[in-house]
Parts: sequence; structure tokens; C-alpha cells
Amino acid sequence: MAPMFVALCIDRPRPTMPEWRIMRAATISAQKKLGRKTVAVLPVHYPRELFTAMDVHTVELWGPPGPPRGPDAGRIQAYACAVVRNALAFLASGGADAADAVLFPHTCDSIQGLATLAPDFGGWGKPALRYLHPKGEDSPSARAFVRAELAHMADELARLTGRPLAIPRLAEAIGLHARIDRLRGALLSRRAFLGMGDPALYRLLRRGEFLGPEDHLAELAVSARGLGEVRVQRGVPLMVTGYVPEPMTLFELLASAGAFVAADDYAAVGRRVPLSPPADDGDPFDTLAAKAFTMPPCPTRGADQDVRMKYLETLYRRSGAAGLIVHVQKFCEPELFDVPAIRRCFARIGAPLLYLEGELEASLSGQVVTRLEAFVEMVDAGRKAP
Amino acid sequence: MITRRVRYEIMSRAGGPMLMAMERWWRRQRGRNGGGTEGLFGPPLESTRKLKELTTLHYLAGRFADGAVPVAWVTSGFPVEVLRPLGFHTVYPENHGAICSVKRMVPELSEAVERKGYSRDLCGYARADLGSIAAGKTPVGRLPRPDLLCCCTNICQTVLYWYRALAAHFRVPLVIIDAPFVYGEARPHLLAYVADQLRELAETAEQVAGRKVDRAALVETMRLAREGTRLWDECLRAGRARPSPWTGFDSFFHLAPIVAMRGTRECNAYYRMLRDELNDRVARGVGGIANERVRLLWDNLPIWFNLRDLSTVLARSGFNIVCATYTNAWAEAGSMIDPADPEGSAAKAYVHVLLNRDLPYKLSVMKRLCREYGATGAIFHSDRSCKPYSIGQIDLKGRLASEAGVKGLLLEADHADPRSWSEAQAYNRLHAFMELFE
Repeated sequence: MAPMFVALCIDRPRPTMPEWRIMRAATISAQKKLGRKTVAVLPVHYPRELFTAMDVHTVELWGPPGPPRGPDAGRIQAYACAVVRNALAFLASGGADAADAVLFPHTCDSIQGLATLAPDFGGWGKPALRYLHPKGEDSPSARAFVRAELAHMADELARLTGRPLAIPRLAEAIGLHARIDRLRGALLSRRAFLGMGDPALYRLLRRGEFLGPEDHLAELAVSARGLGEVRVQRGVPLMVTGYVPEPMTLFELLASAGAFVAADDYAAVGRRVPLSPPADDGDPFDTLAAKAFTMPPCPTRGADQDVRMKYLETLYRRSGAAGLIVHVQKFCEPELFDVPAIRRCFARIGAPLLYLEGELEASLSGQVVTRLEAFVEMVDAGRKAP
Repeated sequence: MITRRVRYEIMSRAGGPMLMAMERWWRRQRGRNGGGTEGLFGPPLESTRKLKELTTLHYLAGRFADGAVPVAWVTSGFPVEVLRPLGFHTVYPENHGAICSVKRMVPELSEAVERKGYSRDLCGYARADLGSIAAGKTPVGRLPRPDLLCCCTNICQTVLYWYRALAAHFRVPLVIIDAPFVYGEARPHLLAYVADQLRELAETAEQVAGRKVDRAALVETMRLAREGTRLWDECLRAGRARPSPWTGFDSFFHLAPIVAMRGTRECNAYYRMLRDELNDRVARGVGGIANERVRLLWDNLPIWFNLRDLSTVLARSGFNIVCATYTNAWAEAGSMIDPADPEGSAAKAYVHVLLNRDLPYKLSVMKRLCREYGATGAIFHSDRSCKPYSIGQIDLKGRLASEAGVKGLLLEADHADPRSWSEAQAYNRLHAFMELFE
């Protein structure tokens, strides 16, 4: 299918409405004109390939940022994370009414709770899909379970779209997303050789959360042409880890402070790029099941702490980063439980570390701005010290 | 190894009982301190002494367990039956966390791990347990070092992250039984997945224990577990009588054996004793509180550090907790256990626990409990450090009121950490709630 370049044809955002909302709405509208159903997707991991193969457009819902709005905001206690509180308020206030269904991946207790609260007790009246991915290591039982869940999801999507899955289409979709993954991986792993600034790069990468895959692939390909052989990023190289890069002004601040993101381990970004292409033994379901175990270690998948720390340390060293920003959402248990291990790991290798805790704020607070600027200065001074 | 084993057996069978007898004698000499609550409550349950003996002996034997027998640290919802025939001494960090909370040690233990980077927003049990390791302090004397960590996600995902941290600390194998959440009814492939993991668990546990699972012993353990669950259910059902022969706060404590000793003869013998005592009290019209006027349901974990005060405040006004979703959870799914099919039936039983099921199911359980136990009010403990139990409570409270006419109170606290408890605010809300029944 020819790329549509939807993102490139969108009107400039009006100042009264957030950019992300206008672009998502325009994309959904364009995809619907192509006869595609739309599914709003909660974080983090889900088999996008299956949705693409079924002509279902996915639009991810990471919050959205800002305070939760509407009467349903108070239906979840304030000690649950902002991702689920905002999502419930957003769904219940009609924010996702353009979608035909919502998908709740089995990410954590809070999203699991939202997956019954909104569909069963009000807030979402259209179909609710749930994707139960296994926790822990690769094993025959886990593979068999993923495969069965994928088959079940295919049935659910067939009910939604009114047409069954065509296996050749799934194989094509796997190929399409593999190309997307390769380009995203290249842009992230060769970050220092890309002239684009972090704000533009992250806007590009995060457009993958709602653009049609063909459109996203097209703009990734254009940007990847900017990858050269010469290191062009000269600022202070930092690594980031956390759940989701919100507020996005974080990158503008880092850029203005003279830093750039040399390595990314956000659940929303870097942790969704496979470490290696899955083995293709001819059965697309087996390939997709295998892919689930080729991803970077993620606590929402129940990753082993030692394995994750080794991965983070390797990522840090390979990227040449000189400091680490741990950017987690308050009350996010999967991320928070790993923080002490990350602190230990990076203290051992003498890496400076900045811990930021947020609640999906729409903008950075003055305090956070000062801390970030001071951190960049400190890391820079450390690099320049003899 | 032999010396350690002998010492473990002596402490389990002889030394422990002797120490318990001495403690009983000492208590008699000291006299009983009512703490200013005389007249509010019914006479203490005789079985409570036996409960203390059982738990004390369990922890006492634990001090001598490592090196003598294989030791497993286990989550409360773990299918422990597989480990029993292999001779594992099991330790329940959640149970230990509850003891730490009752002894008001959680702030000190939590601060020990907060200094290492753990957030105060994490589960209080996890902070107590990890803090106990970091600080080297425990109210039970000493916990044996684990040879195996066993975690089942049917109660929450938190245990997964918590046990990952334990595995990184102790450098021992971790077995995860991933029990996917059940929306509506469990699909066949979900049950097959859990059953497959149980088979994989047996292999790992056999390697750690150095012997094979005796199938006949496993079948017997499954039978005992099913029977134990039934006996616990019979104890709870005694609470349907008016007045209820005990309080919900009593039942929180008497839950310990079905959690930590499920699948043993000692557990079942204990619940037979408790059931008979409760039924005897029902026959004699003896209540858990002296003047039971209003009967309540409790939702969520107990506020362990404040049970005594809370029960006193309620009892003073004639309010009794007669049923709880938490204690009922241990009486429900066990009936699905079939000794003839240990793995298949355990998979079914352990994925269908209350915390692993959707909100319509939870609401149906609440309605049934209120109906069967005659509860006209419900206290929803909004538990800061247990998100899976707490999300949905605001809606559940509204629906229980509108669909079953049961008045509800949302009481914010923490199951383990008193730093998240605002006494004046909580009691203010509680008194206002109780006024609704005047």
C-alpha cells in the first residue's frame, strides 16, 4: 500500500488545542476514510503487526498528559499512577469516541484494573480488548501462551472488522513493522550521527504511536537518510530510562542546556525496539510469539533484574553517555522496584545519575528545570575535568 | 547437615512446644491485661492460644531450617502444595510483613530500604520484607535464608517485582507462576498455561530439594488443602449467626494457617478446633462483641497496625465486622482443587482467586456476602500500598449501595505502614459513617 503521508499533510496546530490531539484526530479521520477501524491502545506492549494485518489502526493512549479532567477523574484513587487516572478521565469524557475499541495490554496491576473498571462499570461502552502477555523468561509454556493469545486476539479483531485474518497479510505486516523497528533502532543506536535535535527526533518517534505504519515508515526513512558516518552531536551525551517521556519539553530543555539523548530506555520508546529480528520459521504466529522475547528487558514484562542491569550498563557504555536520567512516573510499581538496582549498578560504574519523578505533567516545573540544568552542567564539568 | 536436621526436628517437635508451655505458664502468672476494653468484646477464643503456638512454632522452626531442609519463600497465593511433598520449609514474606506491621516495625524497616532508593509508594509488605533484610531486624527472631523463591502473580504483579529484587539479593532460583487476570471466565489456553508452569515448577523444586515429587504424597497434600479450605469456610460461615461468634478482626488473625500451612494436617486440625469452638459459641449465643447492633463487611487487607483500636471503636458502638472479602478469598477457590488432577485443578483454583478476577465478580461476591451474613454496611479500606485491591473500590462502594442497599465508607490507610494513617481524620469519617445507622 502506498504511503499516505498523513502526518505531513496535517494543518498547523491551533493554539487552543494540543498538537498531539489535533494530529491524532486527523490521522484517525484519514484512516477511517480508508475503511480501517481504530483501536485506542493503553501502554505498553502489544502485537501491532496483527492489527495492521487486520486493517485496524492503533492509536496509543499514554495518559494523555496534564491533570485528569471530568467527573470520572475521581473514580481512581490519587495514589494510582497518572497514566490510568488520566486514561479513565479521557475515555469517560468521550476523548476516544472516534475509536471503535480499546485495547488494554496486561502491563501492570493498575492498567489491569482499568481494563475492568472502564468497560464494566462505565467510561467505555464500545468493545474492550485485553492482551495478556506472559511475565518472565522465555519458555515453551510462555511461547504457547503468546501464540494462543495472538490467535484469540485475531478472533476478536475479526469480530470487530467483520473479516477474518488472512495469514499472508500477517506475514506482510510483520515485514512492514520489522522495517519500522530497524529504522527506529538505527535512529536511536546511531543517535550521535544524526543531525536532527532531540525534540524533533522524539516527536518523530512518538508519532509512531498514532500514525499508520506506512506513513510512519515513510517519515522514518526520510529521517534515516540524515544518518551519516561522522559524529555530529557534540553536546553532553546522556542516557534516559523510564516509562514515557512526558512532558516532551524535557528534550527542549536538555538541548538548550547543551545535552542530547545518546541512549534511550523509555518503555514507550527504546524498550519497544527488538534487540534482534525474530526467527522466521514460516509461521507468522510463531514469528510474532518469538518477537515477544527479543525485546529489551522491561519490568512490565517481568524482566530479571540482573539481565536488565547488564543491558542498561551495556547500552550506556556503547552509547558513550556520560550520565543517566531515571525518569519515572509516581506510583508506577514496575519502574519503581528497579530504581534501587539501577542506582547500585550506575554507582558501581561511577556514572552520574539524576532521579526524576513525574505525574504526566503538561510542563516541567521550575524545580525540575533547575535540577536538569544543574545535572547537565555537573556531567559536562566531569567530562572536561582532567 | 545431619546435625542441623536434628536441631530443626527437635525445635519443631519438642523444643518449641516446651517453650510455648513455659510462655503459657508465664502469662498465667502475669495475669491478663484487658487494656480497657473489658465488656466490649465476648470472651477470647480459646483457639487463639493454639494459633499463637502454631505460628510461633513455625517461625521458631524456621530459625533452624536453613541447611537442615530446603527453604522456600513463597507468595500467599502460590500453589504451595507442590512443595510440601518435597519437604520444603515455607516462609511467607507477606505474613512476616503483617507481623512486622502489628509490631509497628514497618516505619523503621521501610526507612532502611527507602535510603537505598525504594519508594514509599510501594507495597508496605515488600518494604517491610526488603527492609528486614537490609536492617537485619525481624520480630520473629530470624528468617531462614531461601533456597528457592516462589512467586505467583494471582494476587498482584507487585510480588513479581518484589521477588525479582529478592532473587537479585539472594542469588537463588526464582519460580514465577504467571497467572493471567481473568475477565469473565478463564479461557482454556490460560488454564493450560498455568498448568504447564506448575509442571515446570515441580522440576525446579525437585532440583533444589534433591529428590522427586512422590505422586501419592502430592495427591494427599491436595486433598488436605481442599479440606483445609472447606474447614476455613465453615469457620467463616459461623459468622452468619446473630450475634456473630467472632469479629472480622479475629478472622484476620486466624487466616494465618490457611495461608501459610495449607495442605498440612496441622492446619486442618487447627481449623476443626476453631470451627467447633465457633459453633459452640453460636449454640450458646456468645458473640464476638458484647452488643452487636450493626453488621458490616470489610473489603481489602486489614490495617494490621491498628486492628485493636479500630475494633474497639467499632465495638463501642455495637458495630461488628462479620465478613470480609479478604478472608473469604481463602475459602473460595480451594473447592476447585481435585486431588485426582493436581496440576489441572490447581491451575483452575489458583487463577480464580478474588484478586485475579474482574470487578463484576468482586461486586457479586460482596453482594452475596452482605446477603448471607446480614451486613448492612461496608468499610472499604482504600489501601495506599495495594493498588490492585483498591482500584475500583469507589465504584464498588456506589454499586453496593445502589444495587444492594449497603451503605459504604471509604477509609484511606495502608495495610502495613502507619505513616499513611491519619487517625483523627479516619475516626472522624468512621464516626460519621456509624451515625448513618442511628
